[in-house]
Amino acid sequence: MGIHGLSKVIGDNAKEAIKEDDIKNYFGRKVAIDASMSIYQFMIAVRQQDGQLLQNENGETTSHLMGMFYRTLRMVDNGIKPVYVFDGKPPTLKSGELAKRTQKRKEANASKEEAEEIGDQEAIDKFNRRLVKVTPEHNAECKKLLKLLGIPYVEAPCEAEAQCAALAKAGKVYAAGSEDMDTLTFGSPILLRHLTFSEAKKMPISEISLQKSLTGLGFSMAEFIDLCILLGCDYCDSIKNIGPTRAIAMIREHKNIETILENLDTKRYPIPEHWPYKEARELFLNPLVTDPTTIEIKWEAPDVEGLVEFLVRDKGFSEERVRKGCERLEKNLKTATQGRLDSFFTVKPSTTPSAGAKRKADEAAAGAKGKKPATKAAGRGRPRK
Amino acid sequence: MLEARLQTGALLKKLLEAIKELITDANFDCSDNGIALQAMDNSHVALVALLLRHDGFEPYRCDRSLALGVNLLSLSKVLRCAGNDDIITLKADDTADVLSLTFENTDNDRISEYELKLMDIDSEHLGIPDTQYDAVVSMSSAEFMRICKDLQVLSDSVQIDVTKEGVKFAAKGELGSGAVTLKQSANVDKEDDATLIELQQNVSLNFSLKYLVNFTKATPLSTRVTLSMSGEVPLLVEYKMEAGYVRYYLAPKIGEDN
Repeated sequence: MGIHGLSKVIGDNAKEAIKEDDIKNYFGRKVAIDASMSIYQFMIAVRQQDGQLLQNENGETTSHLMGMFYRTLRMVDNGIKPVYVFDGKPPTLKSGELAKRTQKRKEANASKEEAEEIGDQEAIDKFNRRLVKVTPEHNAECKKLLKLLGIPYVEAPCEAEAQCAALAKAGKVYAAGSEDMDTLTFGSPILLRHLTFSEAKKMPISEISLQKSLTGLGFSMAEFIDLCILLGCDYCDSIKNIGPTRAIAMIREHKNIETILENLDTKRYPIPEHWPYKEARELFLNPLVTDPTTIEIKWEAPDVEGLVEFLVRDKGFSEERVRKGCERLEKNLKTATQGRLDSFFTVKPSTTPSAGAKRKADEAAAGAKGKKPATKAAGRGRPRK
Repeated sequence: MLEARLQTGALLKKLLEAIKELITDANFDCSDNGIALQAMDNSHVALVALLLRHDGFEPYRCDRSLALGVNLLSLSKVLRCAGNDDIITLKADDTADVLSLTFENTDNDRISEYELKLMDIDSEHLGIPDTQYDAVVSMSSAEFMRICKDLQVLSDSVQIDVTKEGVKFAAKGELGSGAVTLKQSANVDKEDDATLIELQQNVSLNFSLKYLVNFTKATPLSTRVTLSMSGEVPLLVEYKMEAGYVRYYLAPKIGEDN
């Protein structure tokens, strides 16, 4: 589930760290995608009109395959080179969080039965979605699909986000693609969100830069990790009554959790009985990952007949659509990818002379009357009277 | 404060036409050197760098460096109100939030004044290393435009091969293929049409035709264009003017090996 409220914290404190851009401007980028999370997303989002999971004739779920197939195609169409990363064994620290999720699922199941009794269709749908569970079979089918598509995947020894971050850190890929904000906490220089959303949503890609987030917050990486633990991560509870604002203020003042604890009024802020924050920190700093330098990522031509066999015969997809999709894949593989200038030239800090800075300072002084609103209106050059 | 008077207003009009489709907003960086602009297109594939040196203006005055953030579409709209023979004067105060433009027509004593609102633009400046290019082709700008437009019919990318014999532009698409070769020639009679090649090493690179066609909007600025290329680095397309230049950089298309 990532870090509680982190995207808002970054949005409020380091606005420049988040950039929205059209998916088509990411062509030529290699991106490591958290597969497990994406599959979960597909099973929730890719549904029939009546809210039921997509199924083939034999009643087997196909939502995950449908999502994987079309959303991957969408990325490839836009010139992105995806590599999927699957979760391995969850870290022991996550057992608490996982137990909570199982508990929630049970609750949802109970609520669903209740809803069924009174026949509240909307509620049934809602709880149905909460009941979604990605089974090992779903994962295996997705891997099979990726293999046939010629899209590479990596099996992480532990958390997929951590492996994505490691790949991005090592420069193997441009960014990590996930919705989970803890990908940043794991040290991914760039996180892309909304990458696997459907075209219909018209959701721009949101690109979050770790470095700019740190600069905006004025934190070091170690302080940032401690902040994330205070905000609430998957690996340990957070302290009651400490919200984002207080967490930031505390880290600013005390720099790390140890010092915060020394100065904490434990009556107002009861520390959870078992609070393995050190282990959680260790997990973020040195997660169990496969050394990215040993991973070879290669995009290959799709196995068209294999895909037809698997998707059409076994899973009841439309043959025409599958073949069309394969054509698109092959075409994109063949055409040379457009290079990007930023991989040749280095971005240097703005050389805009002091005048620019001064104007900004003036603007701040002028308050709301500044030039920002003019940005929109600047479309019209206005003749002088 | 900036004050720059340009005798041939048409130059500024042509400049804007040359860049406005590639980039939407940009900072005009004014210094005692002249007026410069550097901006990348949205997708970070191409970059425009232009310079109008101070000696192209009469007079030119810029006491301290200024960055004027301008929406290029708006500026080109305002410039459309200027005649080709008008004298254009640009003025901005150090703290101004408008750029004022004056168009003077000496023939019929008409003076028009416009003000354009400025904007704050956070642009990423790229450091462009000085490159020793393997191949530099100097050719007629009109010819270059024609080749790009002709080949665009066939494909969205062009392969440019330079050898000491000449330069070859080739495109291959669904409907067929085509190629144009220009032989190295020092045409003494028509200097403007000559094709000159300085070669250290043969090169062969792929580029997007869409961008190249876009660059040729600068053709009215100069009768000549130079293409500078090295393996695996961006192409430089340069149009030189009397007192300045427009340079376009374009990242090459890269094969599937990566």
